[in-house]
Amino acid sequence: MSNNNSQGSIRFTGANIVYPNGTVGMKDLNLEIKPGEFVVIVGSSGAGKSTLLRAVNGLNRLTSGQIEVDGVAVPQKDGRELRLLRKRVGMIFQDFRLVKRLTVMSNVLIGRLAHVPGWRAMFNLWPAHDKEVAMKALERVGITEKAWIKASQLSGGQQQRVGIARALAQEPAIILADEPVASLDPVTTHQIMQDLVRINRELGITTLVNLHFLDLARKYGQRIIGLRFGELVYDGSAATVTDDDFRNIYGRDFTEDDVLDEDVID
Amino acid sequence: MAMVPPKPARNWPLWGGTIAFLVAMSWWSAHGIGFSLTELLCNSAGGTRLLQESWPPDFAFLPRLIDPFMETIYIAIVGTVVGGILSIPVAILAARNLTLGPIIWFADRNFMNILRTLPDLFWAMLFATAVGFGPVAGALALSVFTIAVISKLWSESLESIDMGMPEAVRACGGTWLQMVQFGAIPQGLQHYVSYALYAFELNVRASMVLGLVGAGGIGMILETQRANFEYERVTMIILAVLVAVLIIEQISESIRKRLA
Amino acid sequence: MSSKPGLLTPQKQIGWASWATFIIAALFVWSLLAIEFSPGRMIQVPAQVARVLSFFYPADMAYGWETVLPALAESIQIAWIGTIIAAILSLPLALFGARTLFPRIARFVKLVSATARAFPEILLAIYFVPIVGLGPFAGALAIGISSIGMLTKLGSEVVESIDFGPVEAVEASGGSRILALRYAVVPQVLPEIVAHWLFRFELNIRASAVLGVVGAGGVGGVLLNTLRYRHFEKAAAVLLLTIIVVLIIDMVSGEIRRKIIRS
Repeated sequence: MSNNNSQGSIRFTGANIVYPNGTVGMKDLNLEIKPGEFVVIVGSSGAGKSTLLRAVNGLNRLTSGQIEVDGVAVPQKDGRELRLLRKRVGMIFQDFRLVKRLTVMSNVLIGRLAHVPGWRAMFNLWPAHDKEVAMKALERVGITEKAWIKASQLSGGQQQRVGIARALAQEPAIILADEPVASLDPVTTHQIMQDLVRINRELGITTLVNLHFLDLARKYGQRIIGLRFGELVYDGSAATVTDDDFRNIYGRDFTEDDVLDEDVID
Repeated sequence: MAMVPPKPARNWPLWGGTIAFLVAMSWWSAHGIGFSLTELLCNSAGGTRLLQESWPPDFAFLPRLIDPFMETIYIAIVGTVVGGILSIPVAILAARNLTLGPIIWFADRNFMNILRTLPDLFWAMLFATAVGFGPVAGALALSVFTIAVISKLWSESLESIDMGMPEAVRACGGTWLQMVQFGAIPQGLQHYVSYALYAFELNVRASMVLGLVGAGGIGMILETQRANFEYERVTMIILAVLVAVLIIEQISESIRKRLA
Repeated sequence: MSSKPGLLTPQKQIGWASWATFIIAALFVWSLLAIEFSPGRMIQVPAQVARVLSFFYPADMAYGWETVLPALAESIQIAWIGTIIAAILSLPLALFGARTLFPRIARFVKLVSATARAFPEILLAIYFVPIVGLGPFAGALAIGISSIGMLTKLGSEVVESIDFGPVEAVEASGGSRILALRYAVVPQVLPEIVAHWLFRFELNIRASAVLGVVGAGGVGGVLLNTLRYRHFEKAAAVLLLTIIVVLIIDMVSGEIRRKIIRS
């Protein structure tokens, strides 16, 4: 499950998204993300964090402009080309999006669907290689012992680990994590964030994480991108980001709702 | 190989047993009813001829359908009203929270279930034998059928009412009848009306075919035309019946939606 | 009394209810007169029913074992094959009939299923009997076709009520729409859909029991003949065995349905 560091670059060029109801989700975005980067995207709710992430794998379509993944434009219509792109881009969701009645293993194998012939997937006849990839993915998030349990019987943190394993099973060049810790308690939140950072370091997978909590962004981010009303308002290193920068991103003073650990606010 | 625990074995006795049962049941059934594609193909020549004869429908026959059709509607109305009234005590005594005692509850519950086991046409045959061929037999059959439908549904919804009011009536010294009348029925009334309308829809549908066993309505004409292989008339009757049933269902459904 | 504001006030509601009662009562009396169900006739009915019932005892159980049980078995066979035909055909239709998954195709599928539901099985049997010949095969086809409508409708409703998240997760990983159905939809809906199949099987047992009236096999033809020739002890055997068999099947099937839903 190695990833050579030349894959997983993303480039937005003049990208705009306007929703049918007139809401602006993305405004003239120009952004370049290099292979293997760990990028945290922050902004208040409705600032366009999800829109940005979901545009990378074509779940949201551009109104104008272009997004390229490894130099190839993201297709803007359903079809084989879009599926081939999505095969290389794993996604992790806030609400996990597991099929609760299936086993953990089956859920992780969903990440292999695009890698095997359709008829094999249809009849649940997985090649040994793909089962092995799925098991390794489970091993990497440390829940191998739950492999044959139904997803509905796991705790929130365990379910999110299955979600991560499903994304890893794709052997992706990019991972998109859309508010991956928003439904979890503080302790589990740190564990999941540490998992994501570790996977990024070990496998060199370009990782984009949407976060609501500022302290988490500062602690785990390598590069921070700030969005406000769909516009890029901050782009810099997590090591040098200041409280003023955050105030500017949010357009207001931040409160205890914006941090996970309240002691961070002076 | 990753360190994953071995996949637990399936519950083979259960799986194997279920699959064996399904296969055996299907084989037995297919064999028993003579499910054969050859027969289907061999007979299809005659069948096609018949289907050709049954189209176009005989529109000249339409005026002669009006009287029997009205009779069908009368049967459905009488059946729904009589059955609807009789189902009230049956449903109340079958509701665990309102019934008069465990023995009555048990007896009523089983009475209700037995009514439900027999299909509408069986009741029609029985009443046609007892009171003679004609619409009265049909109305009686539908009354029984209506009791089965309404009391089952309504007793279940009565079991979920808020018991505060009925208990308050009891606490004030009210009798059982007063408790039901003032504490329970007002809460269950809306459901009752909705179930009664639903039963009426089923009854209109059922009353179309009661005549096949001599219990009045448009089905009696259907039976004579069918027996004489007048299939262009059969098609006419069935089309008319379907249109009428759909119209009545639409009306009834819109009333039910407004009540809900 | 209504708790919802803006609905009819109590007084108006009473007025509305009494009008409705009056209209229903008028229609009822009108209908009674039209079918010549006079009070005199009404008084006779209980006696007539009691007289016929008295002939039912004792049930001719020898006839029951020899003739009724095989006919009941045939009814079960008809219901089983009919339910299987409908289950197989309605599963894809239920998926394509879900508005949330296939908005355009769903409209067409819903129209087809509504039409199929409008035909009572006995009317379909009237056409199938000449096509495939007298007997249970015609009954099974009639039951199968007429069950498709209801199973498709209930199935699409189950599909429309599911958690849509996993479908997006499958598509986000590069899986096709068909594979999303296979992995994210079918596992979620299958238990409820199988429970609906069982419920329809219970209904189909009753439906297949009456098909004998038009010559499509099963126990209905036996009952019609025994009553026509006034062999009341034999008719009693038919009724008794039918009630017992249907009760047993209802109980077993209902228990299995509850187990499936809970799993």
